[in-house]
Amino acid sequence: MLMEINPLEYLIDPHRRIYWIFLLTSIVVAAIFLWLNPSRRRLNLSKKLWLHPSALLDYKYFIFISIFKVLVIIPVLIGAQEVALWVNNFLLEQYGFNQTTKLSYTQIMVFFTLSLFVLSDFSRYWLHRFLHTVPWLWAFHKTHHSAKVLNPLTFYRVHPVESLLFGLRYSLVIGLVSGVFIYNFGAMLNIIDILGVNVLSFIFSLAASNLRHSHIDIGFGCAIERFLISPKQHQIHHCVQHINVNFGGFLAIWDWLFNSLVLSKDVNKLKFGIEKNEMKYFKRFSQLIFYPFYSLFKSK
Amino acid sequence: MKKIILLTVLLLSFTANAVSRDLFEQVIIANVEQSINSARGISDSIEKNKIKQAQVLFTQLIVNWKKVQATYVLGDLNEDFLDTPRYIDIFHGNNEDIKTQLDLIISVTDDVEYALYKHSHKTINALEYLLFTQDFTNDRIKAMALIMTKSIQSYLNQIKTAYQKYRVKFIQDEQFSSAILLNTLVSGTYALKEWRIGDVAGMSKKHKGEADASRGEYALSKNSVAAILAILQAHKQVIDSPKYKDFGDIAIKFGATQEINKTIGYLNQAINQVMQMQEQDLSDAKGKDLYKSTSQLMQSYYSSLMNKLGFVSQVLDADGD
Repeated sequence: MLMEINPLEYLIDPHRRIYWIFLLTSIVVAAIFLWLNPSRRRLNLSKKLWLHPSALLDYKYFIFISIFKVLVIIPVLIGAQEVALWVNNFLLEQYGFNQTTKLSYTQIMVFFTLSLFVLSDFSRYWLHRFLHTVPWLWAFHKTHHSAKVLNPLTFYRVHPVESLLFGLRYSLVIGLVSGVFIYNFGAMLNIIDILGVNVLSFIFSLAASNLRHSHIDIGFGCAIERFLISPKQHQIHHCVQHINVNFGGFLAIWDWLFNSLVLSKDVNKLKFGIEKNEMKYFKRFSQLIFYPFYSLFKSK
Repeated sequence: MKKIILLTVLLLSFTANAVSRDLFEQVIIANVEQSINSARGISDSIEKNKIKQAQVLFTQLIVNWKKVQATYVLGDLNEDFLDTPRYIDIFHGNNEDIKTQLDLIISVTDDVEYALYKHSHKTINALEYLLFTQDFTNDRIKAMALIMTKSIQSYLNQIKTAYQKYRVKFIQDEQFSSAILLNTLVSGTYALKEWRIGDVAGMSKKHKGEADASRGEYALSKNSVAAILAILQAHKQVIDSPKYKDFGDIAIKFGATQEINKTIGYLNQAINQVMQMQEQDLSDAKGKDLYKSTSQLMQSYYSSLMNKLGFVSQVLDADGD
């Protein structure tokens, strides 16, 4: 428990976005980018960026949310295991016992790993999209979008209500997929992992995922950006003018399929944040937490 | 630190392989061998016209065969052997009425070998029908019973030979062998709970509220309770044996003490209940209680299985962007 509420633990836990290896690969990619684009060095290496009030707020908020998650959010969340058990019991009740023996152990592992990754990413896309399109959810998601400058810790600038929703999404989706697989394959189930992390999530996290919240605007090119979200595509999503596009987590396919995709080549100027008249309500730590509730109350 | 981790991993994998080896030799192979001996004993007794002895040995065969069936993983090691148990035992695997067919075969004068042309005619269930309802002074019945015991022996020998062939595969890939073994325990628990107990006690979905002792697996020979006990004892051989290191010990080594102790608790509870039961108790309150215990056992197996997946640890930050 003590280990869990230590924010520095995020650096040594492969399940975290800011795991040191993921940070390192992002730093290497950023260094190459800056070496090739000297004009971008000034901004990206400036104190003005890293010590910007918005960035300082991110750092402070990260410490708060990492403790809050362990103490408040995780204990109240229904676990994926409970959901999986329920799904399995439901299927047993409805259709009786069934175990498919047609697939090999390796085939089941590949199928399970892929299903978890794809369905998890799909649900992330839709929850993220709802956070933008449903007014009361947008009130909470503004906390994240109120960042004026981006850095890897902006990823954690998420309102507790949003954290709760994403935790719930995880439990439901992972529990549902696992329950269906357990019903069909029983113990012949395992995940292909690297350091305990789904291999696909690990690879995509390794691919400069921390640059999504940064000023290193790397695109992947039009062909790849229809399948994978590039750092620049996510930065576009953080722009006031393009806030309702590029909702994807790792995969861009969902944006492409559901008409919310914008490619890097289509946007030149990046200006992060929300509407100017609202930015003033997200300048202090307490505002990040309480303003969404206040704004919802006021709008009634 | 790295060295300690490596040593621990090596030690654990060595222990795991040792567990697979012990289980393979002392449970899987030993149970098949005992089944073969029981079948051979029945054959000898029938030849010597000692039918009472054959009936006693039949109970022994049921007990040993149920243990083989409860830990049957050969179909996962080689799918050619998936159906082999059905050639020995047709409980819930065949809808035909073999009693009528066997009566017909007894009444005609065709060559016995030719008349018993179906697999189902040469199973334990067919043998039970002859041993416990027919008159063995009739040479045709005796000949039929001998063909049945030989067929059972032959399939058991095939199982033993095949197991020995796939011994290395089972022992070397501990992760795979524990997965197929756990699957067998789970599916076996479902069959135990729903078919062997629930259908008789009127607790299964199919026969809710309609208890009927004649639905027992070996109702004719009154060996249904013995069969249930044998299945549960086979589970104990796999997860809670005092004689050798088993998968329960491995689970404890990997930190799943709570889950495995819970499972062992439900298993012991079910075993104690069965030990105090007679054949006729299966269709009354004791049967219903046993159904509940085996349901808990099954849930507990699923919990252990899910624990093995490590849900919480395998997710990357669940937050969005």
